[in-house]
Amino acid sequence: MSHRPLYKKSPHCGIKIFLVMLLGIALALTAYERLTGFHAQEIVDNSILKAKTFAAPVQEVVSGRGIKAYLLEDKTNPIISVSFLFENGGWAHDRADRQGAAKMAAAMLGEGAGKYNSQAWKEALESKAIGISFSAGKDDFSGSLLTTTENAPQAFEMLRLALTAPRFDQADIDRVRALMLEVLRRQKEHPANELGLMFEEELFRGHPYGRNPAGDPAAIRKLGRTDLEEAVQARLAKDNLIVGIAGDIDAAAASKMLDDVFGSLAEKARTAALAAPEPVFNGVTEQVSRRSGQNIVRFAAPGAARSDADFYPLFIANYIVGGSGLSSRLSKAIREDKGLTYGVYSYQTLDDAVPLLQAGFSTTEDNYGEALDLFKQQWELFGSKGVSAAEVEQAKNFLTASYNLRFASIGNIADILTAMQKYRLGQDFLQKRNSYIEAVTVDEVNAAAAKYFNKDRLQGMAIGSFDKVTKEK
Amino acid sequence: MRRLIFHIVCFSVLLVSAAQARLFNGEEFYLPNGMQVIVVPNHKAPIVKHMVWYKSGSVDEAPGKGGSAHLLEHLMFRGTAKVPGDGLNKILEQNGAESNAFTSTDMTAYHQMTDISRLELAMALEADRMQNLKLRDKDFALERDIVYQERKERVDNNPAGYFNETLRRVLWQNHPYARPVTGTPEEIMSLTKEDMEAFYKSHYAPNNAVLVLSGDIDAATARQLAEKYYGPLKKRPLAPRPEMPRLEPSFKAFFTMEQPKVNSIRVGKIFAAPSYNIDPQDIYNLTVLSAYMGEGETSKLYKKLVLRDEKALDVSTAYDSGARGYGTFSISAVPAPGISGEELLEAIDDAWAEAIRELTPAEVDKIKTKMRAGLVYLRDNPEHAAYIAGSLAAIGMPLNEIEKQADEIDEVKASGVKKSAEKLWKHAPQASGILKPQKELTPSGTDQPGKKEGRR
Repeated sequence: MSHRPLYKKSPHCGIKIFLVMLLGIALALTAYERLTGFHAQEIVDNSILKAKTFAAPVQEVVSGRGIKAYLLEDKTNPIISVSFLFENGGWAHDRADRQGAAKMAAAMLGEGAGKYNSQAWKEALESKAIGISFSAGKDDFSGSLLTTTENAPQAFEMLRLALTAPRFDQADIDRVRALMLEVLRRQKEHPANELGLMFEEELFRGHPYGRNPAGDPAAIRKLGRTDLEEAVQARLAKDNLIVGIAGDIDAAAASKMLDDVFGSLAEKARTAALAAPEPVFNGVTEQVSRRSGQNIVRFAAPGAARSDADFYPLFIANYIVGGSGLSSRLSKAIREDKGLTYGVYSYQTLDDAVPLLQAGFSTTEDNYGEALDLFKQQWELFGSKGVSAAEVEQAKNFLTASYNLRFASIGNIADILTAMQKYRLGQDFLQKRNSYIEAVTVDEVNAAAAKYFNKDRLQGMAIGSFDKVTKEK
Repeated sequence: MRRLIFHIVCFSVLLVSAAQARLFNGEEFYLPNGMQVIVVPNHKAPIVKHMVWYKSGSVDEAPGKGGSAHLLEHLMFRGTAKVPGDGLNKILEQNGAESNAFTSTDMTAYHQMTDISRLELAMALEADRMQNLKLRDKDFALERDIVYQERKERVDNNPAGYFNETLRRVLWQNHPYARPVTGTPEEIMSLTKEDMEAFYKSHYAPNNAVLVLSGDIDAATARQLAEKYYGPLKKRPLAPRPEMPRLEPSFKAFFTMEQPKVNSIRVGKIFAAPSYNIDPQDIYNLTVLSAYMGEGETSKLYKKLVLRDEKALDVSTAYDSGARGYGTFSISAVPAPGISGEELLEAIDDAWAEAIRELTPAEVDKIKTKMRAGLVYLRDNPEHAAYIAGSLAAIGMPLNEIEKQADEIDEVKASGVKKSAEKLWKHAPQASGILKPQKELTPSGTDQPGKKEGRR
């Protein structure tokens, strides 16, 4: 047998062999990649569990006495959750000489009502696994109820009593007062809390937002039954009430509950929206010297209100800069690539009187100067250079794909229903929300970045040791 | 938020149910490679919690290598051969999954909350990093710096946190539970990449792991997916379990700690108590005991010390039976103004003794009723079932025993509770401590309240 050449000679033989080899390598690499690479999209496409449309139909319920609420009926478990708030009833609405009244009132509504003294009240709730709680936030006075369907009639009756016939027994007032003073005594144990108090006092100078959220010790010592009654009567009314209901209850039962529980409240609240504070944003980061394990810094800049046309573009911009956790730009620059901090973040706040964009991190003294420079660099870079289309796409993917996660518990759903009404998002918000995200363009995000991210308008305050920082500069 | 160290909280109130009901109606099976799988169907929303629990935590670290388990947990986010660098974070984020992890003394867990259409993706990524982790020098050095900062943030700026860590250290002495999960700052900075590789190879394996799926999935689908993604992983020889020394039952320690930033007193008392692995019957007595003594504002210690004697502003108890070694029974309290920590500790002793004398079958029934009433809430958020089932499975409790805890509680009798309480109070190793304000101010120059300087 004669030897047969593998390839016929031809003028282009060398090139051909080379091309064939290239093709072979490419095929081999592809095969290798198929075997060893990770193909996220393929896994999702071939997943046996497909995405489900999750209807979440929200109904608007209007009771006989005209009280409105949003309801999401869910019969999966025999549980009902009610979330409610009274607008302009929070601690920032306390009289200047009664700072702490809203918080004390919130605590005291959990200390018995009607025929139930404090102990009888708590025994009754515990034995029926009913949860009723109240809290005074900055803007709103809010509350929630969680009950099994079986015990719902008693739960609703107890909530009615708490709202309309709280006892305010003296021994309970004294006990709650002592606890509030204890909270104040240990408020500054963690330097982050001390920083928060000083920063907000300075930022909102003279405005109620700058007050200590835990109240004023001198006022708390004087607060009595009459003050609590006044605080409750001024705040708890029908015209500033918002209610969200979720779980095992239908519209007719929800409507009856609204009248039974809230029907006898006053028509009008004696509290009003606050004037907007006028914070100064001047790019200065003040330093407060304290002995502490780490330096902590906080920043604030102007933000966009929930109803502002800039809200969604800024929402996405903030997600990319510092809202997305480990892969945010700030986290990448300061944590993941440099190891300078455990956490750096930015977030939007939507307080009624002023929307803000806020940020912060903590780090040991030796890292502080470098971390601060990187932070400001990133902030400025974001404002001046903006974002890529890919970053916006990625942010939208997360924000839309993670949307269903918020339906994990009915308590959370009731809270969402309340927020939808407070911010006037519309009854179809749950169906439309992802389309609001998807509609945002790269240009809009860049416009928001340019408008809101400017280090000369970033107001900051830091607490810790700055000797090394100053020496290095 | 991310990767927080998870001190398994006392789930005792949640652990109880009506006699006939199982807690979650979950299913359990094992893959041929030894991986345990627990499925808890919950079809409320099209979402699922995916968790992989390793039955290894800080107690498994070699002496002097404190912080290894926790640092490794961080490094698990730094890439594998297939999914290099921050690929895992990026992919999960692209797909709307919330992802995190935590380390405790006895276990380490990785978890994602995700839409069901992305569950397979999370499983593929988690299975990949169980055996293909690639540690790079640069990532190791960075992540070590990050956990050092984490330790500073969690403990060094938090005097109450430091007090509680010290209370545990005093009680556990030479027991591995004495060591902080993060490691000390010095230990953290002395860890090496080789330490991480050694820990990874001897602990991260299917035969040391529990998979939990809780949410919109049925058991048959869960089995199919578990076999597809985790089935091919190979068993590995595991490191020998660490010795859990017995503490001297007569051990009673007491300390006081003064801290400069502290303006109010706190007291704590903890006992090395039975756990599921030490005395599986005793734990139900102690669960009822803790609820009776100090869980909530209708409990006995609260009524006596806060309401009647006005010696405390607050008092509470907690019992954690879900441990590989000892469980922990703890009492925390805050004295009323004018009452010293020492006085309050004495008052707790007296109130405890009085409460034991008053413990009747009727009181025990009342506690059982309260525990039973809230059972249905366990079926609401799928995350709750995942955490409870996973953390108990990780310390070796089979699902059928987790499911029937309610029946066990129903069997508890006042006489049994009294006996367990007596054993705890008189014969369990215990430590008490008082956290107080520092009497003298810090040397001048280190603390200058109100001094501010502008800096651009």
